[in-house]
Amino acid sequence: MTDNTMINEITLRRTLPRVFAGSEKESPVKDSEVWLRDLIFRKPEYYLIEAESGTGKSSLCAYIYGSRTDYLGDILFNGTDIREYSIDRWCEIRKRHIAYLPQEMKLFPELTVFENIKIKNQLTGHKTRQEITAMLERLEVAGKINTLAGRLSVGQQQRVAIVRALCQPFDFLLIDEPVSHLDARNNAAVATLIDEEATANGAGVIATSVGNKISLPRFFPLSL
Amino acid sequence: MSDKKRKKYRLSTGHAIVWRLLRRNISAGQLAGYALANLAGLAIVLTAMQFYRDVTSVWHDEDSFISKDYLIISKKVSGMGSLTGGNVTFSREEIADISAQPWARRVGDFTAAAFNVTASVQMGGAGMSTALFLESIPSEYFDVKPRGWNYDPQNGDPVPVIISKDYLTLYNFGFASSRGLPQVSEAMIGMVPLKLSLSGNGMQEYVDARIVGFSSRLNTIAVPEEFMQWANGKFAEKELPDPSRLIIEVNRPGDPEAAKYLASHDYESAGDKVDNGRAAYFLSVVTTVVIAVGVIISLLAFFILLLSIYLLLQKNREKLHELMQLGYTPKAVARYYCVIVIAVNVAVLVSSVIILAVAAHLWSGPLESIGVNLAPLWPTILTGTVIVALITIGNIVAIRRNICSIFRL
Repeated sequence: MTDNTMINEITLRRTLPRVFAGSEKESPVKDSEVWLRDLIFRKPEYYLIEAESGTGKSSLCAYIYGSRTDYLGDILFNGTDIREYSIDRWCEIRKRHIAYLPQEMKLFPELTVFENIKIKNQLTGHKTRQEITAMLERLEVAGKINTLAGRLSVGQQQRVAIVRALCQPFDFLLIDEPVSHLDARNNAAVATLIDEEATANGAGVIATSVGNKISLPRFFPLSL
Repeated sequence: MSDKKRKKYRLSTGHAIVWRLLRRNISAGQLAGYALANLAGLAIVLTAMQFYRDVTSVWHDEDSFISKDYLIISKKVSGMGSLTGGNVTFSREEIADISAQPWARRVGDFTAAAFNVTASVQMGGAGMSTALFLESIPSEYFDVKPRGWNYDPQNGDPVPVIISKDYLTLYNFGFASSRGLPQVSEAMIGMVPLKLSLSGNGMQEYVDARIVGFSSRLNTIAVPEEFMQWANGKFAEKELPDPSRLIIEVNRPGDPEAAKYLASHDYESAGDKVDNGRAAYFLSVVTTVVIAVGVIISLLAFFILLLSIYLLLQKNREKLHELMQLGYTPKAVARYYCVIVIAVNVAVLVSSVIILAVAAHLWSGPLESIGVNLAPLWPTILTGTVIVALITIGNIVAIRRNICSIFRL
């Protein structure tokens, strides 16, 4: 896979967080549809991974995003083991191929809402200021554009972080509990926006949830 | 969004936000502490270097033909020796022993004339004539060959001669002043025509000669080897004697081992050059100590900077990690720290060069008044630049490595 090639499929080959090693015969690994299985995520499909707390869904996102490597088995992009990727390669993937919304949002509290988005967008040049403002409006946080991110409620932070994640081209969108702090109306708004952006990119979506599920129009359910 | 518009948009936003994010924990106090410490270290190193180069240029300048890397030795003439016609020449064994000393790189013979020489000169209407002796040393022992330092008996050019500076002093301040003769400068004497009368082996010949230089290290009257070979071949009646003087190239001028050896064998070295050598040796030891202190201070400063940058990176660890999560490369985030390091180091370099220039200016007066030709500043400045460049590269490599280690928390 060269730098500009799209990621068409993400393969998990008997992947297991190292902390679960030795408890393969026990719950939750025993009943998991993800851990220790051969599983392929293909674009432009949507997947919803439901899990109980502590089953390793944030770990899964971190493995696929290249920020952690403490797993057994393999993860492959288009058949290539991602353990072989260089740091520069990962940076390129994070700019062009995989968009990620971490569960903790990771906004910089000392920057404003707009600056938090711009810090990503200036790297990719993907959206105009108008497009960013329009997305914020759809998620009802446009009024906070000049507010420091540290002053936002968790629900507001969640929506700002979603807009930031969408400021790049992507083949897969990894969203870790995207609507955990949102009401039904905002959940629907987020789901519509994500569906639109994923469709525009021809991309796949991998969403996780421990309770409040994002209301995507279609998805393959998996339980972790 | 069109490409052009997109580029403009990206440029207008610039990297101001990242800079604002990372700037927070930078401690001006720590940076200033580093800058001062490194400035002190670098200024000491550069100033000591320049002072050493300026002062030692005295010894370098003293004799343009034979540098201080050479010792010219002869045997001490004792009272007994002179009465009994004792041996003042060096035997082959003695020469071999000197060659075997660790401080001696190579040893050359002085070849003495084995015939009679008389020199006559016409100056200011007065004629002078004196019996002379001549010697030659191998040409390869000259650092700089005097102009026209060769001789071909066929073409009748005057024989070039180098005489000891002491002879000129004797003439100017002893002979000339008491006889009412004009005093002459080194430049003038080169224009005085000399006539040498060479005789022996039942032959006599007159040749023109010209003084081409003065040496304070060669306490002899030296002529080119070619001339000596020709003249000895023609006028010498007996076999050439062993040399009474040797020229030794030493590994380190002023080596105390050399002085010890000479003293224990009753050898004398020309003039007081061994004392000069000792002073040079002492100065080089002092300079080495001072430079070492400066280097230690610089090294400590380097580690201060490294530690304060590590501390800064540690404080910003989370932010750096998050920036790289967004797709910023380690190189891109390291750039901000590298800019700081380069700015501080360049400021330190410029300041220390200013200190160097001021210091060199301060001592230039006293040194010049005792006839020292000051060494140029640029080699010292170049050294400083190289030191600062190395420090900067070290810092940048450390920063990059540290940031790469934050890529995965």
